Amino acid sequence: MKITKKVVLTGFITAVLICGVAFMKIASAQSDQPTDTQIQLVKNNCVQLKGTLNQLHASDALLRVNMGQLYESISIKLMNGFNGRVENNNLNNNSLLSATKNYNALLDNFRNDYQSYEQQLSASINIDCQNHPTSFYNAISSARTYRDRVHIDIQSLNQSITHYQSTLDQFESDYLLSLEGTTR
Amino acid sequence: MEDKLNEAVVDARSFIGKHSFLIFITSSILISAVVIYVSMQMYNSSGAAQLDLSRPGYVSVRSKVDTSDSDFQNYPANGPMNKGVIDDFKALLNKQAQKIVGVDAFGGSPLDPAALGISDTSN
Repeated sequence: MKITKKVVLTGFITAVLICGVAFMKIASAQSDQPTDTQIQLVKNNCVQLKGTLNQLHASDALLRVNMGQLYESISIKLMNGFNGRVENNNLNNNSLLSATKNYNALLDNFRNDYQSYEQQLSASINIDCQNHPTSFYNAISSARTYRDRVHIDIQSLNQSITHYQSTLDQFESDYLLSLEGTTR
Repeated sequence: MEDKLNEAVVDARSFIGKHSFLIFITSSILISAVVIYVSMQMYNSSGAAQLDLSRPGYVSVRSKVDTSDSDFQNYPANGPMNKGVIDDFKALLNKQAQKIVGVDAFGGSPLDPAALGISDTSN
């Protein structure tokens, strides 16, 4: 009888916990949904919102092209060339190659995440915000998440450049030490 | 059975012979449509669409593309290695890095409800 009570109690607590977690998830999902006021604001400012998104779409595309060129040039024109020179002089370039590989992987992430962001932003712009304000609001929320990812990619790339620079400093000091060793 | 099959083949040949020009035009259009569809899929999935500022909607920013780096040379992989070479490369890398690190690209929150004027508190 005692065991049955324990089982019932355990079952009750488990059920309460499951319901609690489910309720929190629903509450969290509902907090992402626009309120009636927001839906009304979307409808009222529909044309203005589309204009703002179109401007952002164009300015972000320009930023993508300009930043992309700079990031690509650092990898293709600088890192690859210098790594090759180190190798051609029969020096150990493993740490530089590793730093470049990491940088290129982050550059790939940036390309892919920007593509996802642009596609989501384009999808948002194409939604009829007058008749589908909730879909429009949710699409913008999704685009915001993608844009945040692109921002994180940019920060990671910048850190990766700093990492390559510190690897280069280490390479230089190792190289100079090896030269001192051979001249003695 | 075989006679019917032969008859059908003869009819088909006769139809092709009579309408060869029409069939040629139709098949050309169909092949073109398939090739265009495949190329558009590749254009969209490869990321080229995101870099193509000749698309409508990008007219206002097209002229603002930075072309100052177009003559930026590849660092030569062949050549000697010494302290001067390393220092020169570090200066070159630092110069490029400075152009990037100072920019808070894709930062800010232009898509926040408050920035767009659609938050609960905005009027």
